[in-house]
Amino acid sequence: MKQIFQRRAGALAANALSLTLALAAAPTLAQQASPQATSQVATQAELARKLEQLAAELADVKAQLAQLQARQPATAVSQGGWSGSAAGGAGAGAATAVAASVPAAAPAPEGPATVLTGYGEINYNRPTKSGDKTQLDLRRFVLGLQHRINERTKIVGELEVEHAVTSASDPGEVALEQAYVEHQLTPMLAARGGLFLMPVGLLNETHEPTAYYGVERNFVETAIIPTTWREAGAQVIANFDNGLTLQGGISTSFDLTKWDATSGEGAESPLGSIHQEAAKAKARSLAWFGAANWRGVPGLLVGGSLFSGNATHGQAGFAGARVTLADVHARWTPGRWDLSALYARGSISNTDRLNLALIGNPTLIPKSFGGWYVQGAYKLWQQGDYVLSPFARLERFNTARAFANLGQGLTPDAARTEQVATVGANFWITPSVVLKADYQRFHVNTQANRVNLGLGWSF
Amino acid sequence: MPAMRVALYPSAALVALAPAGALAVDYLSAEQAQKLMFPQADAFELRDLPLDTALSQQLAAAGVKPAAPRLQVRLARQGGALLGFVVVDEVIGKFERITYALGVEADGRVRQVEVLSYRESHGHEIRLPAWRKQFVGKTAASPLQVGEDIANISGATLSCTHVTEGVRRNLLWLDALRRSGRLS
Repeated sequence: MKQIFQRRAGALAANALSLTLALAAAPTLAQQASPQATSQVATQAELARKLEQLAAELADVKAQLAQLQARQPATAVSQGGWSGSAAGGAGAGAATAVAASVPAAAPAPEGPATVLTGYGEINYNRPTKSGDKTQLDLRRFVLGLQHRINERTKIVGELEVEHAVTSASDPGEVALEQAYVEHQLTPMLAARGGLFLMPVGLLNETHEPTAYYGVERNFVETAIIPTTWREAGAQVIANFDNGLTLQGGISTSFDLTKWDATSGEGAESPLGSIHQEAAKAKARSLAWFGAANWRGVPGLLVGGSLFSGNATHGQAGFAGARVTLADVHARWTPGRWDLSALYARGSISNTDRLNLALIGNPTLIPKSFGGWYVQGAYKLWQQGDYVLSPFARLERFNTARAFANLGQGLTPDAARTEQVATVGANFWITPSVVLKADYQRFHVNTQANRVNLGLGWSF
Repeated sequence: MPAMRVALYPSAALVALAPAGALAVDYLSAEQAQKLMFPQADAFELRDLPLDTALSQQLAAAGVKPAAPRLQVRLARQGGALLGFVVVDEVIGKFERITYALGVEADGRVRQVEVLSYRESHGHEIRLPAWRKQFVGKTAASPLQVGEDIANISGATLSCTHVTEGVRRNLLWLDALRRSGRLS
């Protein structure tokens, strides 16, 4: 919109310039004409014609100026509607309507080029057995900017602040979650390059708090799939008319050389502790990934994904090791029900050689990890925008299912598989704002049982 | 001087042409859509119907907010007889606009929904016949609500919701106009 406006202003300036030049040229023409008395009448006629032409051009410029002024409120409308859903088609329509006579109801060929989005969540966690660990956290505040350069090309960016304050003495984190360019090659095929969310699981690409049940994201899609997982690279996205979406590409991979065996981070989320997020990422080895999702039947989504990449990047002292992560998932939303299930499994090769250097530390690199969950939600009540949906989720996951054999007494025991049952409800006061409450019961780490309250938004 | 003017104009000409040269998002024109919905029609009459107070109140009572002060209805006719109506409308998906056409039988039942253009990165599946077919046969009395009588598409909730809201709005609007005799 803004671009078009600027270009139109440019066109107007061009008109004004041509008019100025014409005016400047007029006396010259008159001087040239004066010595030739025989053709004076003809020259006068020519001058009169030129004056008429100039008058017509001036009228043209005036008309364009009037059109431009008429469009200014429209510009304001669509810029005011940056929040996406508020943007009016009529305001945007004026930008590209070539003539003022185009009916207002004609479909506008262009919307606002720049859209500001955002989401955020504030969570309260109260462990029922250790109240002293009760915490309230502005978990994340994210601003997104999408700019459409033309009908086929757009830039998408998302800037995130986690835990409210970032400084040397505060726990916060500022990160770019997404920064990519997407270009539509054909109506079916698009290419994406930059830092993008990996097409994995149900949550990773759609992770706004209004889009999932429960105050906290599920464990399988945080501990096993490191949501919000992004890599830098290039991918192609193909949308087929039968409801199948295929995505595939090459990207940066994990960095096992930064595995911290002294902390428990790797035991919480093995991949979450070694992701690189395009922050001076080691990139000697690239990974490949692919995902297939089918939405051919209304309300049904069935899909899966696979990622595989070397994660030691030829660093001295580190054996080559490959990280592989696969998932299958399904979501079915018949009527008021919202049912989903996901299974994810990851493995790391050559961990015996990598772990030899880490023996004696509390957290060695697991050979495999994985988990699954099933979840059911039901829209119990709705009045206008108010929607109340109770839900229940059962998940089992293990961040260290097995370790490679290091010899008797040296090989760590596999971790116990944790099982978490979550029951609660989401209450949307508008589709963009959600209040959440739930209770989580842990089977192994019973000290972690907790009550959660949350406020989330997304626009 | 005219030569100079021509020389100065190409940039402006390109600006005017650029959006029309767009690929990827436009699947159907309004004319193609109305022909697709009513292939037997031999004429389409475009009628521009302003909103009046009574109509506005009637829609408000049904929880519908008109998106414009008027509704453009295309009346499909065959040999003068009324076959039905087509309304072309736009809603915002998540970030981008979705243009769709709603075809309605002369008795007020939904005949067809067609997506004319779609620009979002996700949710192209609303174009799939299986999703659009859910609207066929719906009337102004139907709930027309995602999660009730219209199934969602995972990952395209906003597109589904907003198109469904648009269909309901226009269907109720058409119904009120039809009952008041302004569409005969």
